[in-house]
Amino acid sequence: MTAATWTCLLLPLASVIVITIGGTHISRRAAGVISTVTTFGSFAAACVCLGILLSEPSYDRAHTTTSWTWLSAGQYHFGLSLLTDQLSVMMMLIVSGVGGLIVLYSLGYMHGENEERRYFAYMSLFVFSMLLLVQGANLLLLLAGWGMVGLSSYLLIGFYQERPSAIAAAKKAFVMNAIGDATFALALFLLVQQTGTLNYSTVFALAPHHGAAANLIALGLLGGAVAKSAQIPLHTWLPDAMEGPTPVSALIHAATMVTAGVYLIVRCFPLFEHAYFVQDLAAGLGAATLLMAGLIALVQVDIKRVIAYSTMSQIGYMFVAAGLGAYANAMFHLMTHAFFKALLFLAAGLVIHAVAGEQDIHKLRGVGKLMPRTRAAFLIGSLALVGIFPFAGFFSKDEILASALASGWYGHILYVVGMIGAFLTGLYTFRLFFIVFTGEPSAFAREHYHAHRGQEGPFSMLIVVFVLAVLSTISGWIQWEPMWGLVSKWLDPVAPPLVVPTSRDDWLSSAVALVMAISGAAVAWAIYSAKRLEAPKPWAVLEHKFYWDEIYDVVFYRSSDLLARSLGALVERPLINGSLAALGVGVSTGARELGRAQTGLVRSYALALAGGLAVLLVVFVAVK
Amino acid sequence: MHGPEIQWYVALAALLFTVGALGVMLRRSPLIILLSVEIMLNSANLLLIAFSRLHAREDGQIFAISVMAVAAAEVVVGLGMIVALGRRNVELDVDKLRTLRG
Amino acid sequence: MANFLVWVVWVLAAFACLASALAVVSFRNPFYSALSLIANLGSLAVLFLLLSGEFVAAGQVLVYGGAVMVMFLFVIAYLGDRSEESPWSGGPSWLAVGAVLAGGAILAEVIVVVGLSTGNLLSKPQHIERSFGSPASIGTLFLTDHLLAFEVTSIVLLVAAVGGVVLGAHARRIDPLEHPHPERADARA
Repeated sequence: MTAATWTCLLLPLASVIVITIGGTHISRRAAGVISTVTTFGSFAAACVCLGILLSEPSYDRAHTTTSWTWLSAGQYHFGLSLLTDQLSVMMMLIVSGVGGLIVLYSLGYMHGENEERRYFAYMSLFVFSMLLLVQGANLLLLLAGWGMVGLSSYLLIGFYQERPSAIAAAKKAFVMNAIGDATFALALFLLVQQTGTLNYSTVFALAPHHGAAANLIALGLLGGAVAKSAQIPLHTWLPDAMEGPTPVSALIHAATMVTAGVYLIVRCFPLFEHAYFVQDLAAGLGAATLLMAGLIALVQVDIKRVIAYSTMSQIGYMFVAAGLGAYANAMFHLMTHAFFKALLFLAAGLVIHAVAGEQDIHKLRGVGKLMPRTRAAFLIGSLALVGIFPFAGFFSKDEILASALASGWYGHILYVVGMIGAFLTGLYTFRLFFIVFTGEPSAFAREHYHAHRGQEGPFSMLIVVFVLAVLSTISGWIQWEPMWGLVSKWLDPVAPPLVVPTSRDDWLSSAVALVMAISGAAVAWAIYSAKRLEAPKPWAVLEHKFYWDEIYDVVFYRSSDLLARSLGALVERPLINGSLAALGVGVSTGARELGRAQTGLVRSYALALAGGLAVLLVVFVAVK
Repeated sequence: MHGPEIQWYVALAALLFTVGALGVMLRRSPLIILLSVEIMLNSANLLLIAFSRLHAREDGQIFAISVMAVAAAEVVVGLGMIVALGRRNVELDVDKLRTLRG
Repeated sequence: MANFLVWVVWVLAAFACLASALAVVSFRNPFYSALSLIANLGSLAVLFLLLSGEFVAAGQVLVYGGAVMVMFLFVIAYLGDRSEESPWSGGPSWLAVGAVLAGGAILAEVIVVVGLSTGNLLSKPQHIERSFGSPASIGTLFLTDHLLAFEVTSIVLLVAAVGGVVLGAHARRIDPLEHPHPERADARA
């Protein structure tokens, strides 16, 4: 078990080191292969861990392994310890499994790009960091992984270094993540002060139960989660992050990094349960985000941006679940979302790769006819996303809505929002599908489409899309409550679910959700495919993404720019520069004045001697 | 000891010293300045001999003899410089000999 | 009676000493100043004798008066008449004021301070032997307790002699003040 855990964590790190040190001595293909093999190796190790855990009784499934005490300061000791329990194994499997698939996909997608080796090194770095995050046995290691994941995201978003927009997007992502990191760290400081340690078990037992400290701790953790998972108000970086290569968007900004926030809340749920207000706030933020993102996605014209806003929206669902206390349900949705969102991104990547990098949906109109398999894959992904039975999204999203229904009046409000969100999801997803993948190909598509040796893409890309399509179809079935609830049973000791939809009301709510989703899809069909209805003009507020970027620009950037400029003029130039200049002037003036004593006149020197003698006589006598 | 007590010798030496100091500070000719320095040295010698008598130890007189020797050496060097200056027909006025300044 | 005589001699010698010192500082002709200094040295020798410093008095007259002052007179004679028109003037005004102040301060301090602080210590001169201050006892001291001072003093004198030779010998060489451009002078001629 220990060996498997450490192998899972360290294989990607070994890959990073090998690729970095190898540099140009290893071929590009070799770098990609090293990265892929090590990631799948981690997956294998994670499976081994799963097997070992399955063989143990459910109450005894938490194992901690420590390599050495990393940080020791006074009475505070933090070890380099890894935790293997049900929740972490689930995340390990998702991260290494989906990660491995996406790195394999990158072999084909990034073939021939500049600096391929750098890309694979960064991907392995990311996998390592994410595994560190989910495997850490104390919050300090989680924070370490958290920060490194942010770093990898920055490096990968800004991968195309020649593009100023990519660099700007990378900076934006990093800065917003840093804000979350700051609140996170403050929460950790409070925790250390209150409990003296950061080990999960000790912290959850000793944390304060109510009062300002508990609320602040939870709030700080929520701040970090909100930044990492791109929820309101720290969400503006996610659409810009689409500047990175498509596999990066799939892995980091759909399947794994952005779900780290959800993982944090689920892992630290005892801390959140001590602060009801913060939990309600988390759910509320999730609901607001899911609504806002759904609305914005209706007017986007970049294929990846639509999927990005969809990600934001789905994570909103997960936050709603986590905020209400339905932890296992949130994790289940996290898992299915990883599959179908990665599928959507990678299928879009197939299109982008085949049509010379174009991402505008109107230019890509009708490319589905040229790429039927991709169309099928995208359709499966869309159905899963929208939540149509029997695809994966149906099961996971339903559980969340049922949990909302079971949570009092606030939960009812969230339920209504979730229903509206389901409608919007159907609408924007199928808008995308109908525009891009149905109808006659546009002139642009026809002209620029080039097949890859007769296929729609290289084999490495196609196989991954296929596997993900299969997973999106069947993965929902592992949790069908009337029959079996593998996920919730598995996670129960660590992250209990709130509700399992078995009663008649829950069936009713599932049906209503399904109806909403299908009606959204139907409206999209009517507008974009069958052209029965007129497409409404997009509202300006949606096109400007609710003006969040503009507001932040004025509130944060312009005000601090003004402050810096005024301080420079009022404080720095007169006081600091001025004092240094005055120091120089003063020294030279003083030297000049002192120099006037050098008269060259012997008699004045003699006078000085006599005067000094007169003074000294008095001094000597006085001292005696 | 007959005659005036030590205080008188001290007062006399102080007066001599002051006269010599004024001569150094107020005269312009280097020769006169050198002579004034000699006056100051002699006043110190007087003090030394007086205190040597007071304490009945001859060490003060030894010191005075050494002072005399050093004064002689100093006069040699000073006069040598004045002779060198005088040979070049430079005006012997310390107010004009000012090039050694900072 | 003896006391009275000593007092008289003392007053005369002190008066001569001060008068000659003032004369040294006041004459315009340096030759006269040097002669006044010889008178000063003589009166000081008398005072030394009153203080039982026979050897030092003799040394003062022979060495100081006989050698040092003779050297002075030689140099003054060599340099020619260098009388100054207005000996006390010249220089910045603050110099004269400051000099008088400093001199007065030193005078006052020495008298007052020494008088105040050592009042009772100065009143009892110790008893001395007959051989106090004699050449024999001075010589013994020089060669036993103060041998180092003796040797170092001789070295100082040696260095001074060398310095004198060096300072005197240089003037024969090239003299930039008198002949600024010797080559060009030749070329033109």
